[in-house]
Amino acid sequence: MYQTRHFIKLCSLVWMLSFLTGCDQNTTSGNNTVTITPDVTTNKPTEKDIQPGLDKSPMDMSYYPVDYPKLKMAANVTEPLIARIIYSRPQKNNRIIFGNLIKYGSVWRLGANEATEIEFFKDVTIGNKKVTKGRYVIYCIPQENTWTLVLNNDLFTWGLKIDSTKDAYKFNIPIAKTRFPYELFTMEFEKAGKGMQLIMEWDSVKANLPINW
Amino acid sequence: MKQLVVLFFGFTLMSAAADAQFKAPALDKSPMDMSYYPANFPILKIQNKATEPLMARVLYSRPQKNGRNVFGDLIEYGKVWRLGANEATEIELYKDVKIDNTRLKKGRYSMYAIPFQDKWTLIFNRETDIWGAFQYDDKKDVLRTEIKLEKQQEPIEAFTLLFDKTDSGANMIMAWDNVKATLPITFIK
Repeated sequence: MYQTRHFIKLCSLVWMLSFLTGCDQNTTSGNNTVTITPDVTTNKPTEKDIQPGLDKSPMDMSYYPVDYPKLKMAANVTEPLIARIIYSRPQKNNRIIFGNLIKYGSVWRLGANEATEIEFFKDVTIGNKKVTKGRYVIYCIPQENTWTLVLNNDLFTWGLKIDSTKDAYKFNIPIAKTRFPYELFTMEFEKAGKGMQLIMEWDSVKANLPINW
Repeated sequence: MKQLVVLFFGFTLMSAAADAQFKAPALDKSPMDMSYYPANFPILKIQNKATEPLMARVLYSRPQKNGRNVFGDLIEYGKVWRLGANEATEIELYKDVKIDNTRLKKGRYSMYAIPFQDKWTLIFNRETDIWGAFQYDDKKDVLRTEIKLEKQQEPIEAFTLLFDKTDSGANMIMAWDNVKATLPITFIK
């Protein structure tokens, strides 16, 4: 009898331990430092691997004028197309983002996966600098109270390796703290005065980049 | 004084409203994705493994089957489909290519499909940055081609579009539910 009780104790201990280590693995896999798949192949996809799952940081696109494609569909366009941004949307997942997951002073791709891409369809002015129309990679160097936003000419790249020798423009902007954390990273344009601003927010940080033309 | 208090409250309310005004959009249920030829070009690029230049990039959204019968049912035969969801699918070619022996100049195009039971008509159209196929204008077509289909044994849950190397260029493969469509693209040497 005593032995059985001992055995049960041992079993439950093992069970609890396995449960604990199981949890541990979960948290590390939830650690969203997006990994580069090391074994990328350009081989022929077979029927099996034609089924790539949905990305956990899905891509999205924002326009100015806001919802331009829908305005166009509804024949409701009153302003020409100014800008389009293509970015991926990582999630907070209970992590502290700024200063922790994303280190202050280091390069951040403003999203996930591919480097974030911004295209201006006409010349614009940002912080007294004239920015020539065209396509750029946009990335960020976050600090505690300011962000440096950089427009860069090294297009079609993965966001983990940005070639800073191809930086074209740099802007420093102040940031604001939000009252509630935002789960999803969001980039959107909004009308502001005679121009627009690019709003970026994630966790408890909100940053605006004013853009005029 | 009273006016001041009212003014003060007014301002706090306004600023609270301004604070609450911006609502981060939820994740899209048909998320956007990108495919390249060469496949995974950005990753190859940062690993210095790109052996070919970038030829094409597609920006599309990935609706899911969700237990529905897709072709002939959810997407009716003979009707223009945006080849995905949300915005019309966009292809950008970085060099001129040949499709069905017709030269297609490099540039950005919207893509649509007209699915039939045994083939698809695939359309390249000049009007970009547009939502869906609701305002599709065939006068802006740049190229139309008919492509072959294969049946899939295992249904594909999320609409998938990707490129696959061939001897003369690349195949653009579009697969969803039990249909797999292939568009051969010839690169011009």
